[in-house]
Amino acid sequence: MASIRAEKLVKRYGAVKAVHGIDFEIADGEFVAILGPSGCGKSSTMRMIAGLEPISEGAIYFDGKRINDVRARDRNVAMSFESYALYPTISIYENIAFPLRAAGMDNAEIDRRVRDIAGKMELTALLSQKPQGLSSGQAQRVGLARALVRKPAVFLLDEPISHLDTRQRYRMRRFIKSLHQEFNYTMIYVTHDQEEALALADRVMVMSDGEIQQMATPDEVYARPRNAFVAGFVGEPPINFVDCYVENGTGGWTVSFEGQRLALPERLSKAAERIGGEGLAAIRPHFLSLGDTSPLTLQGKVFVTEELQDQNLIFVDVGGTRFTLVAHPTVTPRRCETVTVSIDPEHLLLFPRSEARKFEDLAA
Amino acid sequence: MYELKSVHKRYGLSKVALRKIDLTVRDREFLVIYGPAGAGKSTILNILAGIARPTSGDVLRDGESIMHVPPEKRDAAMAFENYALYSHISVGENLAFPLHARGMNRADIDQRVKRISGILGIGHLLDRRPGFLSGGQRQRVALGRAIIRPADIYLLDEPVGHLDAKLRHKIRAELKALAEDLSATVVFTTTSSREALALGDRVAVLNSGRIEQIGTPADLYHRPANAFVASFVGDPPMSFISVEPRRGGDRVAFVTPDGMPVAALATDAVAGLRDEPGSTIQVGFRSNEVRLAEAGDPGTLRGRVDVIENLGYVKIALVGIGSDQVSVSFPTGKRLSVGETVAIAFPRDAVHLFQNARAIAHAAPSA
Repeated sequence: MASIRAEKLVKRYGAVKAVHGIDFEIADGEFVAILGPSGCGKSSTMRMIAGLEPISEGAIYFDGKRINDVRARDRNVAMSFESYALYPTISIYENIAFPLRAAGMDNAEIDRRVRDIAGKMELTALLSQKPQGLSSGQAQRVGLARALVRKPAVFLLDEPISHLDTRQRYRMRRFIKSLHQEFNYTMIYVTHDQEEALALADRVMVMSDGEIQQMATPDEVYARPRNAFVAGFVGEPPINFVDCYVENGTGGWTVSFEGQRLALPERLSKAAERIGGEGLAAIRPHFLSLGDTSPLTLQGKVFVTEELQDQNLIFVDVGGTRFTLVAHPTVTPRRCETVTVSIDPEHLLLFPRSEARKFEDLAA
Repeated sequence: MYELKSVHKRYGLSKVALRKIDLTVRDREFLVIYGPAGAGKSTILNILAGIARPTSGDVLRDGESIMHVPPEKRDAAMAFENYALYSHISVGENLAFPLHARGMNRADIDQRVKRISGILGIGHLLDRRPGFLSGGQRQRVALGRAIIRPADIYLLDEPVGHLDAKLRHKIRAELKALAEDLSATVVFTTTSSREALALGDRVAVLNSGRIEQIGTPADLYHRPANAFVASFVGDPPMSFISVEPRRGGDRVAFVTPDGMPVAALATDAVAGLRDEPGSTIQVGFRSNEVRLAEAGDPGTLRGRVDVIENLGYVKIALVGIGSDQVSVSFPTGKRLSVGETVAIAFPRDAVHLFQNARAIAHAAPSA
């Protein structure tokens, strides 16, 4: 186990800068998720920690010792890759046993560990097979088993469960989490899936454009996102954004959007002052409701309703903005029906309009 | 209407993809095939498209066998999981391709390409070649190429599986609205419970080449036929506690092996329960059908918090009870730690009962 510190860490591929001089600290035994869209620099960051990529500038320290020049195999870092490269000519058993054999462990101990991890990963029935016939989900589990079996000091997981079905994802996620609780590995989990990041990590490092946008607990990044990118990337269903205008009137700060105006709660006056003009309002789907239940209401037209049984997702077009709201399963408006949407002002967030670009890029 | 009759599909000598399945695709329905990786989902689409041939069984369209009809004569529009785009032509030309092939005029083609690429958020990519796109972008082009033309049936193989959550959410709604507007017949495969429930008029749960259950999302969610469907449909998955029945009067009580009461159901409601020594009886419930008990709640189960998961809008505690582990949702503001002992309050009738993994009773959740 080790603590990790990065100082002004830069990764360049030729002329392209993938990581822009980031600083972060990960405590011994901490579970950190690096979350971001593809191309945000998360995998480059992980690969520099693992020693698979040279560090272009800056430094990484394990337990205070600079490891820039330590070879990958001497860092005692284990990795599970998204592209789970398995050895095709040997059995699943031997694939999992491989790192243990390489370390010269005796056969009885290897057998005990391989069978233990295979049992937890539901791979026991496949041990004698070769990788060729495996489904992608099974291959992924074998890759994960091979990484876990050697009990590393730092454990890096790169999108290890992105291809699994809902049930398997929960099972693996809980397994990984209980593994962390049991052994207290320092774990870094790279993912584009915000739900996995929130569910697993002690802290989430949200990255975009090679920079850290926010590094905080799951509660923090969800409830108090530092910018529009974080607000838009974290949360399922995704947060609603709407262009707004913020101004200071006689009664204090107000925000207006889609033809409606609202006095801002005290909590937002600092943000309003900073924005003072064109802004971006954001509200989570859980804080919108149908009906006239708040001082801030909008008229809209139902686009479509998804009945997820435990809740309904209702998509409502208000002017040029499509809002998603989460409703009780008994609320089932018809398509094209005109409805009133109430916004809970206590949960409204405000960002500068200039940040709009960052989440629009996601669609590119 | 399309029908698979006793369709069996084997690849090579030993790999069985489908095990004598019967499946009907009704006209104008959105049918979701939902199952784990390797269940046989893509094989069903390939057989409907005519790309794969059943080892045995029959494929019918409106009552007539189409086994001899080659794929190009079937009028099925397919989006492949691996995209299969033309790499030497632009995105716009890829989208227009199926329309050119049908001899549509230039103005109509441009208008359709514009509309579909707008819906899928790829309007700015029309001049690029597929090789310069990200995986998510390519997947949207593949989906666009399938839905751009009128077709007798649309076969969509995990068409949003490689998109990030935000886009998936957006495109899912667009796809649902589009299918409703066009009254299209759609078969859509997925490994996501949320996607299956959100989109399907009906959902077929596929497992190891067999259909475990087919029905409306409400059927699968509230009345799962067996423990596999119960644990596979719903997000988070259903939890189970092993119990023993204690018959008394007009009720049957179900208690844990340690004697803690879990549920009590009317004898009539559990008529399917057989007195069979050694059989496994389980009570199943969803994380939002139970809650952490407060002082004074009657009928609580006690257990230790093993794992806490943060889902943003809610948290889930995994609570160990005997050898079982159950999910209980709780509000994000509540303080709770791993290792703590908690009590779970059970609405005693809001449960599902299974014997040897087969559903015996489903009690509607009370308000």
